[in-house]
Amino acid sequence: MSSQSLVIRRAAVLGSGVMGAQIAAHLANADIPVILFDLAAKEGDPNGIVRKAVEGLKKLQPAPLVTRDRLAAIDVGNYDQHLDRLRDCDLVIEAISEKIEWKVDLYAKIIPYLKDRAIVASNTSGISINQLSEAFPAARRPLFCGVHFFNPPRYMQLVEVIPSATTDAAMLDALESWLVKRMGKGVVRAKDTPSFVANRVGLFSILAVMHHTEQFKLGFDEVDALTGPRIGRPKSATYRTADVIGLDTLAHVTDSQQETLPDDPWREYFKAPAWLTALMAKGALGQKAGGGIFRKAGREIQVLDLGSGDYRASTGGVAPEVDQILKNRNAAERFAALRASSHPQAQFLWAMFRDVFHYCAYHLAGIADNARDVDFAMRWGYGWAQGPFEIWQTAGWKAIAEYIAEDIAAGKAMSKVPLPAWVAARDDVHRAEGSYSAAEDALKPRSTLPVYARQLFPDLIVGERHDRGETLEEDDSVRIWRMPKLDSRIAILSFKSKMHSLGKGVVEGIYRAVALAEADFDGLVIAHEAPFAVGANLVEVMQLVKAGQWDELDKVVAHFQGATKALRFAQVPTVAAVDGMAFGGGAEVAMHCAHRVMALETYIGLVEAGVGLIPAGGGCKELARRASEAAMRRGRQDPWEEIQKAFGFIIRGMTSKNAIDAKAMGFAAESDTVLFNARELPYAAIRQARAMFEGAYRPPLPAKAIKVIGRPGNATLHMDLVNLREGGFMSEHDYIVSEASALVLCGGDVEPGTLVDEDWLLDIERRQFVELLKTEKTQQRMTYMLESGKPLRN
Amino acid sequence: MSKQIQDAYIVAAARLPIGRRNGYYKTTRPDDMLVHAIKAVLGQAEGLDPALIDDVVAGCALPEAEQGLNVARMAVMMAGLPRSVPGVQVNRFCSSGLQAVAMAADRIRLGDADVMIGAGTETMSMVTMLGNKIVLNPGIFDGQDNLGIAFGMGITAEKVAERWQVSREDQDAFAAASNKKAVEAIRAGKFKDETTPFTVKTRVPDPATGTVKVVERVVVDDEGPRADATAEKLALLKPVFAAKGSVTAGNSSQMSDGAGAVLMVSEKILKQFNLTPLARFVSYSVRGVQPEVMGIGPIEAIPDALKKAGLQQSDLEWIELNEAFAAQSLAVMRTCELDPARVNPLGGAIALGHPLGATGAIKTATLVHALRREKMRYGMVTMCIGHGMGAAGIFEAL
Repeated sequence: MSSQSLVIRRAAVLGSGVMGAQIAAHLANADIPVILFDLAAKEGDPNGIVRKAVEGLKKLQPAPLVTRDRLAAIDVGNYDQHLDRLRDCDLVIEAISEKIEWKVDLYAKIIPYLKDRAIVASNTSGISINQLSEAFPAARRPLFCGVHFFNPPRYMQLVEVIPSATTDAAMLDALESWLVKRMGKGVVRAKDTPSFVANRVGLFSILAVMHHTEQFKLGFDEVDALTGPRIGRPKSATYRTADVIGLDTLAHVTDSQQETLPDDPWREYFKAPAWLTALMAKGALGQKAGGGIFRKAGREIQVLDLGSGDYRASTGGVAPEVDQILKNRNAAERFAALRASSHPQAQFLWAMFRDVFHYCAYHLAGIADNARDVDFAMRWGYGWAQGPFEIWQTAGWKAIAEYIAEDIAAGKAMSKVPLPAWVAARDDVHRAEGSYSAAEDALKPRSTLPVYARQLFPDLIVGERHDRGETLEEDDSVRIWRMPKLDSRIAILSFKSKMHSLGKGVVEGIYRAVALAEADFDGLVIAHEAPFAVGANLVEVMQLVKAGQWDELDKVVAHFQGATKALRFAQVPTVAAVDGMAFGGGAEVAMHCAHRVMALETYIGLVEAGVGLIPAGGGCKELARRASEAAMRRGRQDPWEEIQKAFGFIIRGMTSKNAIDAKAMGFAAESDTVLFNARELPYAAIRQARAMFEGAYRPPLPAKAIKVIGRPGNATLHMDLVNLREGGFMSEHDYIVSEASALVLCGGDVEPGTLVDEDWLLDIERRQFVELLKTEKTQQRMTYMLESGKPLRN
Repeated sequence: MSKQIQDAYIVAAARLPIGRRNGYYKTTRPDDMLVHAIKAVLGQAEGLDPALIDDVVAGCALPEAEQGLNVARMAVMMAGLPRSVPGVQVNRFCSSGLQAVAMAADRIRLGDADVMIGAGTETMSMVTMLGNKIVLNPGIFDGQDNLGIAFGMGITAEKVAERWQVSREDQDAFAAASNKKAVEAIRAGKFKDETTPFTVKTRVPDPATGTVKVVERVVVDDEGPRADATAEKLALLKPVFAAKGSVTAGNSSQMSDGAGAVLMVSEKILKQFNLTPLARFVSYSVRGVQPEVMGIGPIEAIPDALKKAGLQQSDLEWIELNEAFAAQSLAVMRTCELDPARVNPLGGAIALGHPLGATGAIKTATLVHALRREKMRYGMVTMCIGHGMGAAGIFEAL
């Protein structure tokens, strides 16, 4: 098989535990039929165990399934009755308990049923892949490897792929490509060493934090304040993460590490600290037990106090002087200051970083191909903003190396083992041409697998730069450019505003980009990093409101409507590459393009009601137009059902839960593209525009016969409103705002079945929008949003 | 007292077990349910020539889709009755079934007919609450006068709870009692006389054989009542219609499927065919109230029906009060000072279900059989009605 040709028509997942079931769910998300296996239940329905697991997927948060109907793609089976169904499976992922004998037994059981070229991969997080491989006959071993997903598998980017000594290289390439493109994952090739890369470093990092927490006599709350977003790590930091994982699980993993790492110089630290064992003895296992290191007492969050052994209010924070150090954007100065400070918090941070750096440098040769793999493993698997080698290099490789060496010599480091010789011999580990491999003493470039050519803007490692293509024009609001290496005749528009909000400059940019694309290019793509756009620039709108410039506001709205119209009726295909939030005006921009290429995690919604407004950039108009078209297609008399649905979305400001949901809600078209890997968006959008151009693209004709539901339709929408208001679900102003969108969606105060054109609806939209701007309560909502970032319900 | 030429005698009254919405009768058509109810009452009047039936009046609250096209005439034909027998569908929302019985009785009382069937049928599985499509008159929203028309039934219940001060605790206790009574009634076989088991046939694909398999299930008992619906459990439910309200799914009537029929004849027919009367139709009243508190409709209708019957409220020994909501049931009972022991002794719609337009016919069947069984004389069926109305019908056991 070539690296591009892996075809997974059907997959099987063995083991319906928390990982197995969620991996099956993500396969189903990607439209791959999957059969989920587990042991046959001893009593009742033989598939009882696995059915229960599938049932559990509906309740799990964050949701493993993109939509409920994906459940239909998950079939169930048990090892006693259904192994023959493996014959159809191209990929079998084993995710049963971490017991080698159990895994080996199960492999022996399934081997007779495997399809000829079926890949078998274990989701083990620690057992040797080489050892597991031996359970297979020699002929099958090339098709076996490890694929280690992280929990929750839909959302965590990392998958570690671990070959055995006999794994087929082409198969690995194909599998990696498939994981990247179809599953949307970031793949790190790991060596077959205990816990592979991310957990090896991640667990040590937790142990180092624990060790130094006690050394420097800090509170767990203090340490979480220090080891969270302030140093580029997730909000749940260290100890809250431990509570989420479960303290028993953490202790178990730690203990088993000690067994599997007999030669690790830090081995003595791989044991649960006494306080953790004590908590476990009390049954305080973390979140699942209702409390662990932290617990909730009424409204108060409490934390275990190491000194007293009892809980106290969790109030610990970062000392101002340490905070000051952490705010310094110069990493070299920051690290030097942390080390020099006598404050225990600063000392703690330095010590923790030092020991993690030390650990990573020592083990680099053994556990990973190169430093980039370690850094990506920690970023994608643990949510760190930067990996350990990146942090080190950014802070100054030489200087940090010297600090570490001094501390080792002074007996301050957790281990006395010296830094490997290569550390002192180098100035860095990451360079544009590649990252350092300690095993091979060479710089290793990035993978050349064709799948990565689809990522025009891959995750960067320090020292690397993106090819930003060729700028055609640029100002403070937008950049219009092209990517000659892919297609020099597709123009690309990128927003530069904060959160990509739509202000005057961006709107002008849209006009210019469309004009440029129509004149000199074959298509226009709108693409930039997530979010796609959070809506109109309220600051600009508020300025005009304060000045009472209603006529001017009307013109501003009309101008924005003109921009979305320009996208819709452009003579060349317009393609929006949407990732993350596309709210309000952002949704309207996306909705008016000829096509959308969306990342799976795309949230589209007309959320204007939150600030007391209605969609007026063509959002209401588009929903009314689409409703009419849908009704006509079904030969229905009127678009009542579609309008009622759209109305619900608008008055509640509902957003799609993902790209597939966006289609179901009508914000995106059924024919739009959904990509599991957001990094592929610009590539696919450019290719899409090209394909549309080559298909002799013509813009749609302006709709002149939009059938609207008129006065009685509006009355029926009012019925919903009256009940929401009477039930106290809606304020008086919500009611007024909702009435405005009802009027647009119904086509105005006309008879049902009236045929109207797009401009008629846009005019109502615009007038209603400006009227709402004149209301005090809408102004209050906008002001509140600008000040607090949150919606006001008044 | 109302005037009449002759009495209308009920000689048979039957109903299907009530199914939960999307339950037993998920795929059973409302006209098929009605056919079954009609056949059941005719089966109980042995020897009566069906050609003598002057008309079949059937109530249905949302007469559209599967239950549109005059479900009464449809059922007459599907039941294999002579083509000469006509059928008419009537709609007064929740009292449609009782209205049908009253209209059928009136034709006899007027002397225009000798054999009538009053009935009701409703599928809420196939035709959802409010119907498949509602198109309101925009004039409702001109001013405040008619705004109540737009209120959902749940909101009207909240208004009643608020104005008549019915607490959440009382509503939940009432709902729990309804379930308890219904569960016990089923266990004791109290509904056996009135119910006619229905065989649901479901056609399902059998991929193994490539054929269509017909799955049959005989429905004997009402599907709705919950033995575990205690006041404590009901207290955990969240209000559905108002953010800070007291009306929940648990203290509201259930959406249901069902049908019932009542066969009525004149004295002449009684004698001619030697039929045993179960009860005599005594009086009927329907009154209007403010739509935003539609639940209190019976407060107006009950005294009026008593007046027309020339009876005192104390004469009523058994009252079937449709439990649209616990809130309105309690408001009506308290205002009219109805004896709780006489109201819904076998449970009500909160437990058994409320197949809108069928309920009146179903409750009539329950009432006349109960009066006979308990050797009581007078009884009443009463209910509130959407858009602000109340109905009450009084019957005398013979």
